[in-house]
Amino acid sequence: MELINSIFELLFGTDPELRQIIAVTLRMSLFSTLFSSLIGIPAGVLLGANDFRGKPFLTRLVNTLLGLPPVVAGLLVLLLLSRSGPLGSFRLLYTVEAMVIAQVLLITPFISAMTANLVGVNAKVINETLVGVGIHGPKRLKYFLLDFRVPFISIILAGFGRSIAEVGAVQMVGGNVQFKTRVMTTAIMMQTNMGRFDFAIALGVTLLLISFLVNSIVNRIQKAVSDD
Amino acid sequence: MIELKNVLVKAKDRLILDVPGLRFERGKRYGIIGENGSGKTTLLRVLMGTVKTSQGSIEGLNLDHKVGYLPQSPYAFSFSVLRNVSMTLENDQERDELVLEALQKVGLGSLIHSRGSTLSGGEKQRLGLARLLAVPKEVLLLDEPTSATDIRGTDIVEALLQEWFEKTKGMLIFTTHAPAQALRMADEVIFLEDGRVIEIGSPQDLFNHPQEAETQAFLSHWVI
Repeated sequence: MELINSIFELLFGTDPELRQIIAVTLRMSLFSTLFSSLIGIPAGVLLGANDFRGKPFLTRLVNTLLGLPPVVAGLLVLLLLSRSGPLGSFRLLYTVEAMVIAQVLLITPFISAMTANLVGVNAKVINETLVGVGIHGPKRLKYFLLDFRVPFISIILAGFGRSIAEVGAVQMVGGNVQFKTRVMTTAIMMQTNMGRFDFAIALGVTLLLISFLVNSIVNRIQKAVSDD
Repeated sequence: MIELKNVLVKAKDRLILDVPGLRFERGKRYGIIGENGSGKTTLLRVLMGTVKTSQGSIEGLNLDHKVGYLPQSPYAFSFSVLRNVSMTLENDQERDELVLEALQKVGLGSLIHSRGSTLSGGEKQRLGLARLLAVPKEVLLLDEPTSATDIRGTDIVEALLQEWFEKTKGMLIFTTHAPAQALRMADEVIFLEDGRVIEIGSPQDLFNHPQEAETQAFLSHWVI
């Protein structure tokens, strides 16, 4: 009961910090998923739909990046964006933008690999069918994107799930700055370290509720696209 | 006219196709027969350019101009049957009429708003044919166009191809596992074995008086 009260208080109470944390979490997750999808899906289609020299190597590389530890991605972005780093002049470290960059680094290989695997299963017969009706080269991309539009939504959703649940990289490049870069996961970790387990659990449940809400909205979109 | 000269296709060390010379003429229908793995599909893929030759050349075939190819298991996209057929058509007022006409010809008029991915194998083959014939074609390359259709579907497809041929006097090259289909539809039958052309002739000559031992052995399995 106390837990439910805590969640209710967090969501609808007077504390402005939680609403700020939710807003930052959503902003970071949505933008990182958007950019990762814009890069990852076309890249995955190109990888899965075509046979070319170097494809096995590229596939192995993408699959290897699937196992990239978040803290390593965080470290790379930290080094890039730190004041002495090559992109230090942009002063992006400890901002939401830095967190989005780290997330894109983590999620893009995931979306690319899932897309390439999905498309690759039928790529040969799709290509033959398209060539048979005179559709060659880059024009084929449009039909791959259209044909797999429904499963692509599932892949994007899985990418969003990864993004909203990630903690290592965003902690490193975001710094968990109050009212600025603190997100649900870094807040949970901080509350746990402070021994405020009930608050941490309430945050965790709230995170799941947000994820459930986003899933429900996306499922409706998926159904609408599927019926189209 | 399309002419294959010294065409070799190899996969690793295995010889898939070895055709020193083969000529296809406009205004003729060619039926390619042979056992599984004899090179029928590879021959069509070589003509379409989806399989690269290890050696040799193909002359007289301009893929930009009215050549249609139907794979053995054509893909039906997850969008509507209407959109599947209209993929290569201009989006104008006549489009839907053209599509409906093409679908009615293959007996799929009632499925125009169904999803392509929900069709059966035989329906997908007929959809593929409707997609090809919605746009004028001069050369048709069909890989076992009725392998998944029932006898009614086979009848529809054969009648449609006959109509197309009489109307265009184009070139029809198809593969089949059914010698009876080659007998009905082809002006010339090409028998392949192990990637090599063993015998070419009119259906009557080749089926009634096969000259080569390989052709005789193959046709000995033909039971009606």
